[in-house]
Amino acid sequence: MLITTLAWITLGLPLAGALLLSLWPHEPERALTRVVGVGTIAIGFILTVIIFADLLSRNPSQRHATNALWQWINVDGLRINLAIFIDPLSVMMMLIITGVGSLIFWYSTEYMAEDRDYRRFFAEMNFFVFSMLLLVMAANFFFLIVGWAFVGLASYLLIGYYYEKPSAVAAAKKAFVINVIGDVGLVLGAFLIARTFGTLDYQAVFNAAPTRLPAGSFTAEMICFLLFVGCAAKSAQIPLHTWLPDAMEGPTPVSALIHAATMVTAGVYLIVRCNVLFHLAPYASDYIAITGAVTLLVAASIAIVQEDIKRVLAWSTVSQIGYMMVAAGLGFYSQAMFHLLMHAFFKALLFLTAGVVIHALAGEQSLNRMGGLYRVLKLASFAMLIGCLSISGIPPFDGFFSKDEILASAMAGGTLGVICGIAGIIGAAMTAFYMFRMYFRAFGGTEPEGGYHPHPHMPGLAMTVPVGILAVLATFAGFLQVPWGRHLIDTWLAPSIPAQSTIQPSASVEWITSIVCIALAGAAIWLAWWLFAAGPERRLKYANTLSGLRGFLLEQWLFDPVYESVIVEPGRELGDAAIRSAEPDFTQGIVRAASGATMATSGVLRRSQSGLVRTYAFAMIAGAAILGIIVVLAR
Amino acid sequence: MNLILGGPIHHQVTGVPLSWYLALSGVMFLIGLLGVLIRRNPLLLLLAIELMLNSANIALVGFSRYWNVSDGQIFALVVMVVAAAEVVIGLGLIVAVYRQRLALDVDALSRLKG
Repeated sequence: MLITTLAWITLGLPLAGALLLSLWPHEPERALTRVVGVGTIAIGFILTVIIFADLLSRNPSQRHATNALWQWINVDGLRINLAIFIDPLSVMMMLIITGVGSLIFWYSTEYMAEDRDYRRFFAEMNFFVFSMLLLVMAANFFFLIVGWAFVGLASYLLIGYYYEKPSAVAAAKKAFVINVIGDVGLVLGAFLIARTFGTLDYQAVFNAAPTRLPAGSFTAEMICFLLFVGCAAKSAQIPLHTWLPDAMEGPTPVSALIHAATMVTAGVYLIVRCNVLFHLAPYASDYIAITGAVTLLVAASIAIVQEDIKRVLAWSTVSQIGYMMVAAGLGFYSQAMFHLLMHAFFKALLFLTAGVVIHALAGEQSLNRMGGLYRVLKLASFAMLIGCLSISGIPPFDGFFSKDEILASAMAGGTLGVICGIAGIIGAAMTAFYMFRMYFRAFGGTEPEGGYHPHPHMPGLAMTVPVGILAVLATFAGFLQVPWGRHLIDTWLAPSIPAQSTIQPSASVEWITSIVCIALAGAAIWLAWWLFAAGPERRLKYANTLSGLRGFLLEQWLFDPVYESVIVEPGRELGDAAIRSAEPDFTQGIVRAASGATMATSGVLRRSQSGLVRTYAFAMIAGAAILGIIVVLAR
Repeated sequence: MNLILGGPIHHQVTGVPLSWYLALSGVMFLIGLLGVLIRRNPLLLLLAIELMLNSANIALVGFSRYWNVSDGQIFALVVMVVAAAEVVIGLGLIVAVYRQRLALDVDALSRLKG
């Protein structure tokens, strides 16, 4: 009972903070905004830790609790409660959201200090955390969808935070529209679940699934495929990935929290949450793994040519979520969650460090106008190095453990697993290359021509400490789960993931995968160093020889132009054609006919309005008399 | 129909039977109605309306006596209040029209017909 109460408070605090900040009659004191904005999330983190400790002290089979506030909907055969479900999986997500969230909020207090809309930022961020918590704590698909839509709204608001910039507004619109495509899939999936099981409650659905839903049946495949449409849009998987790089128009803390650590991993969370269902849908699962493998390669290849430091990180996020999708699609759900956790640490670290750089350079984001920053921003340089090593999968940093576990497991998971595993290994090498390309171009080498104006300034305490904490986490968190030694994440998540694949990679597969990965990553890092740090002139030389490929990658595999010409343009032309032909005659015709008929009728009827009181009185009496006669006759 | 014409009824009523009340009420109502339909002077129009209202009052009181419940009498009081208010407004309008030196003829006062 206690833990559900605490969970409700955790959920309610950010909502209360968002309401307080947005309903405050005028721009409140910055100190108050800071206290409310950061405080609600920090208290939420403390409460979540208490919940975590409480669950930890229980028997693994008892580690769940559910609590309903009241009944929300009761229609024929379908009852939906406003309920939360606390289990190892949701607690893990809550820890990430409130824990990493607190650090990013703290960081934002300084990063956004110059902004005139201080309270709007924190109000919207608080609203995001509330929505995200609702998404992971919901006890049924209904409130999952509510949270899902709310985080989409929060994402829209925060991408378009700098609403004076047309590019930010366009990016926000794009993110919203693509996410709505996903929402439609998710909602249709929920309809199908409600029709098949008669309920939307997680526990009821998952308990009934193995008996009510034959493995590999069309319904099972369809449910999972529709759910995955939602996941692909939210988690930026091909073909619904194009919104995420544009989403970097938002402030950097937003990119760190929403578009790296939490919201974009909601798709992975949903697949892991519904592991029982996905286990019954082998084709849909294979499709997820293939999508993940393709996405991770495509995104990594695009990241290689990006010039904007945040867009490099955005594409790397798409790519890393591809790894999680590979793991989830192959049935290695807890490995996917492990990588989600590690990714939250190192990607938040990378984004926040990029934020330090952008802040120091007064908003400059282009790698072309960076270089030699290690001399002025030593701590940031060090933190970025940790982040890059981590995402590149160099031991002992955390990305090594999680990525390697996915790849080794995939290698043991049948033909598709081997294909995905090889794609993942190639992707890992590309990851190391593009991350260190970014690192060497920003921090290594020489300062850009003309130097920096104004001189880069060091970040203050509120920005340094969160980066430091994340750097420590990114360095050591990988030891939560070590092959053959410790399986803390697997053990913790086991009660939530009954469908976890039982395949265990053999020791030799583990070793070979690790060694190949490290060797390839090392080679890629060396190549990046050779191209971008040792001899910057080589960069321009090779860029020219490969200009065709480079152009293709710069066009981001032509996804945007193709969507533009296949979907957006025809839609616009359809609208134009409708305006030209249907609007004047058909739509306007109906309106004109209606108004004309009204005028004609009233022209006839107005003659009865004589202005003579006697006539009116007579009409009234006559009407009453007729009614009376009718009543008498009708008896 | 028995109820109105005085056939077998539930309550023993002494004195004036209900049908007399209703006859009086009907006659008064018709006189008032004719007044409204025929007359053009607004003052007389008001008088005729008053007559109609009071005919309704007589019917109410008659029924009230007949059923031996006081609701009808109370309602008659309400009707009187409404009638008084109506007369106040009606006379006020007539005085206002007279002050404008317009003819006191309801047929002539038809400019609002549009």
